[in-house]
Amino acid sequence: MTTPPVQTLLEAAPLDVETVRSRLRRVVDPEVGVNIVDLGLVYRIDLSPEQLLIEMTMTSPACPMGDMIIDDAYAVLAGHLPAQCTPKIVLVWSPPWDPSMMSPKSRENLGW
Amino acid sequence: MKDLPPVARLPILLLGMTSLIAGVMAGLARLAWDVPHLASNVAGLHGALMIGAFFGTVISLERAVAVGQRWAYLAPALAAVGGAMLLGNAPLTIAQTLSIAASLIMLASSLFVLRRLVAPFTLVLTIATTCWLIGNLAWLTSGLINVAVPWWLAFLVLTIAGERLELTRFLPTPAAARQVFYVIITVILGGATLSLWHDSGLKLFSGGLLALALWLLRFDIAWRNARLEALPRFIAICLLGGYLWLAFAGALGLAGAFEAGHPLRDSALHALGLGFVFAMVFGHAPIIFPAVARVRIPYHPAFYIPLALLHASLFLRIAGGLSGDFALRREGGLINAIALLSFIASMLISVMRGRRAQIER
Repeated sequence: MTTPPVQTLLEAAPLDVETVRSRLRRVVDPEVGVNIVDLGLVYRIDLSPEQLLIEMTMTSPACPMGDMIIDDAYAVLAGHLPAQCTPKIVLVWSPPWDPSMMSPKSRENLGW
Repeated sequence: MKDLPPVARLPILLLGMTSLIAGVMAGLARLAWDVPHLASNVAGLHGALMIGAFFGTVISLERAVAVGQRWAYLAPALAAVGGAMLLGNAPLTIAQTLSIAASLIMLASSLFVLRRLVAPFTLVLTIATTCWLIGNLAWLTSGLINVAVPWWLAFLVLTIAGERLELTRFLPTPAAARQVFYVIITVILGGATLSLWHDSGLKLFSGGLLALALWLLRFDIAWRNARLEALPRFIAICLLGGYLWLAFAGALGLAGAFEAGHPLRDSALHALGLGFVFAMVFGHAPIIFPAVARVRIPYHPAFYIPLALLHASLFLRIAGGLSGDFALRREGGLINAIALLSFIASMLISVMRGRRAQIER
């Protein structure tokens, strides 16, 4: 597989919250065909030199895909964090997800 | 309490799959195909194997993975063992009691979900589970599968409806349309209830199914996703085809097809069970199976082959039903079984492809 140029850029850039967010955009919910960031599932990205803490939710507490999506999120972050920084992704249910949390562009695409 | 590791979920799933295989063979026996004795002995229990034992296992397993609590896995485990009891010729009351216990535990899981979020869709999912419980109680008290069938079907249909309702939240669905949805659910439940006393309940139930299909055809996110590509499109196409079969099943039911002994009962039940429910399974197995077993199932365009086979064979079977041509219905039924087998094969091949891709990565 050829590495897309954008990835090289990201690897070279210092890690910041925006970079983490754009990595997480690679995780897509197959039911909606939209990534987890633009769906508004990522509530919090806290970056310190030792830890990257991400709090995220699922649109439905009856959905069995939670752990799978979290695994995918770890996978897209792997290799993009400084060696001493460990990622920690936590699933939270409060506040419950709401359509207003989607990005303006996704809302527009979905006809809002 | 901690979640059950994926490797421990597999035996439950495999035992549930045994009921699927046996249930399909029992169905073939009903169409006068020669099958092993183990399956022909349970020909009369085809519906119990397919809905209670197989779907009861996989749906409650899916719910258990969602809640992530060990006790929740008792539901699929008991449902799967119940299926094995049917196959093992144990007294019927054992399987019936196990299915009641399984549905009670799944109800507890659904209430757990409801505690996390009270929303119309979590309520519909809880009502769906309650329908499974009522069907199981009806089976035990009446001793007749026919009495349980509307409730078992409501369990499947409302579970799917609840999950689809959840996904319509991504779209700006008009408030009035949401109200109509609740009315439709009420009609389906009212029909199932009335069917305990009178056959006219089955017509009300069918009217609800038809209305639900039309509602989903109008408001589901599937139309939008059908314009995407790869897996989201495949799922959408599975759904849209399924809604057409659901509408057809509802229309047949309005003509009385769900009544015991009706010549079109086979057509109505299988338009619903195969055309709607299994098409939904074909679409969602590539995301649900990985969530349960933690393996990858990469999308492949060949996923359309079992789907096309399912629709084509169901078309044959129903053409046979409508024209009173048993031989055609029989052939259609055999190809239905082949379609299900080819689906299982496509999933297994994809799991292996997924593993290879992961090793190469």
